[in-house]
Amino acid sequence: MILLGILLTLLGFVISVLSLGVTSSVGGRLAMVLVGLAVSLFGIMGVLNKAYLKNAIWKKG
Amino acid sequence: MKNSTKRLLTVLFAVLCLAPLALAQAPAAAPAAAPAATAAVPPPPAPKPILDADLAGTPVPSADAHAKGDPDGSLTGNASDVTVSDPKKGLTIGDLANQVGQNKIAVNFVWTLITGYLVMFMQLGFALLETGLARAKNANHTMMMNMGVYGIGMFAYWLIGFAIQMGGVGAVANLGGTAPLSAEFTATLFGKPFGLFGQHGLFLMHKGTYDVGVMVLFLFQMVFMDTGATIPTGAAVERWKFSAFIVTSFLFAAFTYPLFANWAWGGGWLANLGTNFGLGKGYCDFAGSGVVHAVGGLSALAIAMILGPRIGKFSREGRPQVILAHDIVLVITGCLILAFGWFGFNPGSTLGASGSGNLRIGSIAVNTMLASATGMISAMLYMWLMYKKPDASMTGNGFLAGLVAITAPSGFVNPVGAVIIGFVAGVLVCLSVAFVERVLQVDDPVGAVSVHGTCGIWGVISLGLFADGKSNYGGAWNGVNGSVTGLFYGDASQLVAQLVGVATLVGFVFTLSFIFAFVVDLLVGQRTSAKSELEGLDLPEMGALAYPEFELKS
Repeated sequence: MILLGILLTLLGFVISVLSLGVTSSVGGRLAMVLVGLAVSLFGIMGVLNKAYLKNAIWKKG
Repeated sequence: MKNSTKRLLTVLFAVLCLAPLALAQAPAAAPAAAPAATAAVPPPPAPKPILDADLAGTPVPSADAHAKGDPDGSLTGNASDVTVSDPKKGLTIGDLANQVGQNKIAVNFVWTLITGYLVMFMQLGFALLETGLARAKNANHTMMMNMGVYGIGMFAYWLIGFAIQMGGVGAVANLGGTAPLSAEFTATLFGKPFGLFGQHGLFLMHKGTYDVGVMVLFLFQMVFMDTGATIPTGAAVERWKFSAFIVTSFLFAAFTYPLFANWAWGGGWLANLGTNFGLGKGYCDFAGSGVVHAVGGLSALAIAMILGPRIGKFSREGRPQVILAHDIVLVITGCLILAFGWFGFNPGSTLGASGSGNLRIGSIAVNTMLASATGMISAMLYMWLMYKKPDASMTGNGFLAGLVAITAPSGFVNPVGAVIIGFVAGVLVCLSVAFVERVLQVDDPVGAVSVHGTCGIWGVISLGLFADGKSNYGGAWNGVNGSVTGLFYGDASQLVAQLVGVATLVGFVFTLSFIFAFVVDLLVGQRTSAKSELEGLDLPEMGALAYPEFELKS
């Protein structure tokens, strides 16, 4: 899960950088960067954080 | 709270929200009509060139007159103080020109150094703020982390960090050149050069970097890096093993911070998004909402996630519990010291007071003040409305949130823009603190992730919205002619450049910080033992209590 989270977070960054070469329109780049940001945020909050919360200290009682 | 008070607060909140927006929409006053020409005015005479011979007769106070003292200051500082290159020739135009040039650089050196000293003073603000928000049993440990990060960070930055960040920045005209910082490692992507890291400046000796201008630049950039490095200590307070803190902070100062700072400020690929891809003036970050605060805030998030929450922060059902700060006096003192230091942070980022549009330092300082005021007001009103009391620690966080948010746009926006940016930041920090605690269930005792991460990112984005195209720092920014202009003033591509920067912060900087913290966790262990945590870290980690004469509760 941790590795998947790291990869997803990095993938979002890669998508944003790719926007620079894939299209030259401002709108197209904006859309790709926003998709990249969403993927990175999902990687951090949806995957990485969840992986750590599984073993959170307050769940151990 | 009484209904009448609530109504009054609601009205005040609404007025404060709407007034700046209304002002921002107000049409500019029509320019006054030019007076009609009434009579032909003769052209002014052509300026007569000054010759060396004209300088020969420049009056200089006699030594006798000066020997009697100069109580009104009319004798001190005159032509005899100009350095003469050849005493036989006497004072020449060349001597004067050299003196003028050196005066300009001297003004810029002094400005940059003094503002750098102000930024260094912010370390005290962070130390007091974080220690006040921690419990008394961890006060020594928290203060030591804040002092330790200064030395450790500086050492790592001197060894390698500065070279990675600024080793390829090229000439910094305001500081007289910094010519030795001339080697940037680049890769080619989409047919364009992508600057990745600098190569000159190791130990401040490598490749001619033992240079007066480089030294000034190092001092200023070092204290900025250290501000970023001290942010994670707030999120990790009360449970971070001191040895792990040292290694993690070293890695931050040597690699994490310098890499992103190179891309944004050192001539790297983000700064060149304008020249290479036509995105506005490239990624712009005047004083570091992204470079310093978001990098620090995202690193803080990575470390806080790995550390996990403090014992007792969440109930077994996952509900957050209040752990009280031990000294609100320290918290507010820390906030005010930070606000004072910010007058070094933002206006100092011109790297000079003379030439190249640097007189805008007045506007930058005023923007900084205004955003801090509206950030504080909006956070205070938000807490008052939502939780019935104007909570002191969140009001302080709103104060800092406004400052963090205005850091990137401070050099490019007008006062109305600054007011709006600060106001939004104050509300945003309150929402973000609640989100981090209740939804992410990440324990961030001082709100570092929200103040620096969330509001740092807001600052970067707000520049792409509110930059008004009126600034002029030598006619170009990041190698693109013209002034930085945001979406609301006609350039949507600047917003895209800013968002690429945000995506890099979230996708790359967070990941790098997480990997470093993860490896340190594997090798050293990031978290102290439960026994140490319950006892308080002062004795187990530092060997001495901060307040030995107090009776402490565990």
